[in-house]
Amino acid sequence: MILHKISTMHSKNANKPKLLWLQGITCNGNTHSFLNLSSLDTLLEKFELLYLPAFETKHSLEEIVECKLSCDILIFEGTYDPLMKRADASVEKVLAHYAKAASHIIAAGSCASFGGMFKAVSPKRNSGILFDEEEKSGPLKEDDKKVINLSGCPIHPEWLGYTLQMIVNNMNIPLDELHRPLELYSPLAHHGCTRNEYFEWKVDAKSFGSKEGCLFYEQGCRAPMTHASCNKILWNEVSSKTRIGTPCFGCTEPDFPRKNLFKTKTNMSIPQDVPLGVPKRSYLTLAGIAKTFHIKRLEGKLIDYKTTP
Amino acid sequence: MARVTKEEKKHGIITAALKLFSEKGFYITTIPDIADKVGMSVGNFYNYFKSKDILAKELVLYISEYLGSQIREINERDISTEQKIYEIVSMYFSVAQEKPEMIEYFLRVYLSNREVFGEGCEGMICVSPFVTEMMMFFNDGVEAGDLHDQDFFSAFGLFMGYLGGMVFLFGEKILPEPLESYKDDIAQNIYNALKKR
Amino acid sequence: MITKQLLEQIEGEASVYLDLKEDKVDFATVVFPHFRGMESILEAKNALDALVITPRVCGICGHAHLMATVRALEDAYKNTGYDVALTQKVQSIREFTLLMEMAQNHFKWLYMVINPELDKLAKTQGEKKVLKGAYAASLASKAIAVFGGQWPHSSYMVPRGVTCDPTYVEVLQAQSHLDELIKFFEKESLGTLIEAFLAFDSCKDFKELSSDIATIEANLIATGMHEKGFAHDRFLVMGQHAFSKPSKLKGTRSFKVDAKYVSLTDAYAPQEQSYAKNALYKDDFYETGPLARMMASAMPVIKNMHRRYKDSAYTRVMARIFELASILEHSRKLLQKIDVTEASVTELPDIKNISAEGVGVVEAPRGPLLHKISLKKGLIQNYTIITPTQFNIGSSTPQKPTPVQEAMQAESKEDALFIFRTFDVCSVCTTH
Repeated sequence: MILHKISTMHSKNANKPKLLWLQGITCNGNTHSFLNLSSLDTLLEKFELLYLPAFETKHSLEEIVECKLSCDILIFEGTYDPLMKRADASVEKVLAHYAKAASHIIAAGSCASFGGMFKAVSPKRNSGILFDEEEKSGPLKEDDKKVINLSGCPIHPEWLGYTLQMIVNNMNIPLDELHRPLELYSPLAHHGCTRNEYFEWKVDAKSFGSKEGCLFYEQGCRAPMTHASCNKILWNEVSSKTRIGTPCFGCTEPDFPRKNLFKTKTNMSIPQDVPLGVPKRSYLTLAGIAKTFHIKRLEGKLIDYKTTP
Repeated sequence: MARVTKEEKKHGIITAALKLFSEKGFYITTIPDIADKVGMSVGNFYNYFKSKDILAKELVLYISEYLGSQIREINERDISTEQKIYEIVSMYFSVAQEKPEMIEYFLRVYLSNREVFGEGCEGMICVSPFVTEMMMFFNDGVEAGDLHDQDFFSAFGLFMGYLGGMVFLFGEKILPEPLESYKDDIAQNIYNALKKR
Repeated sequence: MITKQLLEQIEGEASVYLDLKEDKVDFATVVFPHFRGMESILEAKNALDALVITPRVCGICGHAHLMATVRALEDAYKNTGYDVALTQKVQSIREFTLLMEMAQNHFKWLYMVINPELDKLAKTQGEKKVLKGAYAASLASKAIAVFGGQWPHSSYMVPRGVTCDPTYVEVLQAQSHLDELIKFFEKESLGTLIEAFLAFDSCKDFKELSSDIATIEANLIATGMHEKGFAHDRFLVMGQHAFSKPSKLKGTRSFKVDAKYVSLTDAYAPQEQSYAKNALYKDDFYETGPLARMMASAMPVIKNMHRRYKDSAYTRVMARIFELASILEHSRKLLQKIDVTEASVTELPDIKNISAEGVGVVEAPRGPLLHKISLKKGLIQNYTIITPTQFNIGSSTPQKPTPVQEAMQAESKEDALFIFRTFDVCSVCTTH
């Protein structure tokens, strides 16, 4: 792998869009996830980096909060709290200033998209930059046409990579009603899970720690109800939660984090939530029939597929 | 026009078969008996149902769909869970009174002759429309906070076992009063047993 | 004259107030201006939800939080009378992912913080190698994802086990990522083989070396860091792992440790409200992290460096570099130990049966991370988190300075700020 130097930001910046990354209340998870992007250096060279929290860039945070500059692409990570200060400056003012001139505003992560994990710190005050859960009442509601929500806790680096590259290529990014890019968020986290056959035949995992069994019915997996491409574009180019046996927690949806995450909520043994868009009756009819049949191969360990009685 | 007639003919066979099975018994009734009652040739009969076994299974599906659609109609009404229980009991008992051959077939043929239905009616496949509606009823009841959350089969067994048992007693002519006079108490008992604790 | 310096490129935000007298730091205080209230978010939640919530305390060491949570839960089970012994497979996998997260952290600190800052201090215009750190970190993350599904934020540990059930296909994948990471480290950072590096005896062994690490070592000497940045020469290691030995050290004398002696005090920061609390052990301040761990394990080269240069900034930086090499080497061994036929999870009763307290301690990249949980019928009554930065980067009075305050004492402003960074600050952890 050839590592390019980050361009020294002098002569070649004439046509590069200016990128600025601001933060609200955050754990920095989205920053660290982004740093895992495999073509990071090539991508970053396409921008004039005004400020990024991870490493030294053209300006310091103190210079940024003076609000004398402008950017083309604004990335905001973290829950928005109007009373929060960064470098002694009001986040509300700094965000409002840079949002004005920016042509694209990206909410990086579920906190910035919907409020996320840290909304609970002050539920009435905190929100995402455009949405407060599902309500479009955030500080940038007047600029809503510019806002792209990359929800996820954290974001997948390739989602941000895609979005930035599409912007550089001057391409329109179709969004869903929650402002998430359709090409990334129209699949469900369920698509591509290696346990799909267990889902089809309703062979439920009875506990954690086995590669056999579906995690939907008992272990709280939200994948059939969650818009994300985790099982399509794998995480770290390697795997995903559900593939290795952790239930999806639905982190790209406005109601993240939910409660009682490792257990499926049932009403009289019937799952409260069924796959998106599937009517409950249809689901129950199909599930009932699938449950009737016992596919021997699926009831034992995978490696025993020939010998399971 | 021809298609409608075909459906009507099929429906005719079903009704006739249920009546005969009820009167004479499942094993004694033959295909010619049924064909004769409907007024068609045995050869024509086989155009509708390829064998007695296939007819037997389709009857279960027919009854399940019928009961299922009745329960669905009740489920979709804007009434309380307690009232829905009353309506389901009421519906079940009126079918038992007005179309006794239906419930009888279910209790005395389907449930009691598993060897006939072993293949093609495994588990709950053939009663799926009916079971699905009961699942919806329980689902909605728990979600509304009216019913106690418990395992599906515990609740289903209580509800349907109770009703099936009463209809069985009715069929044996053991009940001194007409079936519908037991409705109120039975519905109340079921509600009290299943309601939120 | 008191000047305020906002620190950037640390995890989160912190400011240092320097009281300068004749251009030397007379006294410094540290302020962490944010507070998130994670501990109150956890109250009344189902205990298992903590496995998803606590990693969000921190994006760079979330995995350590996950392990601290699962250990606290297991401790609560143990205090209720249940056996919580883990299979060797589970121990190895958990420790492997913890170490990979630590390696990821150290690489980033080295290339994104220390290297550029040291270049500035030494006035050497080095080539910008920032993304080397990110690349190495991404390789370590891949190795984590093999078992954990993803990094950051996997939540793949559950009481008495892990959710994954790998075959040797996965173990070999992890090995392959690790091998690539080690090769990268040897070629790009060390300039020698990792075994050779770990066999170094003292600073003299750097003379023949030509590499990023050799340059850092030379720059540390050139900027006098071997004679600056002394803290209290007291160290604390608390997490129980195969790679670290819990112990308390005063210089080189070692003592036993017990989590019950950890206490918290409010920060002393007269200029501005700081939301961080100072962590003390038996009412004293101790340094935690790589230097503490290396001292506890008595690694020969670090012992020699310490003999010459005590707990200077030089020794502190070197300790972390050697810990990085040591972690990579140790991780190789962990993978070889994995027997995939062992159970991934050993059954325990439902958590709703547990009404007890539990403590989980883990060696996070910067030192001991403590999670204390109090459960009632499986619901969280109380949750306390104490992070290593609270041990190292507290803010106390001149009479009783914390390790970082002591280390910055009597240094120039530029030196003091560099010395501050040698402790590797995690502000988000501290302002949970």
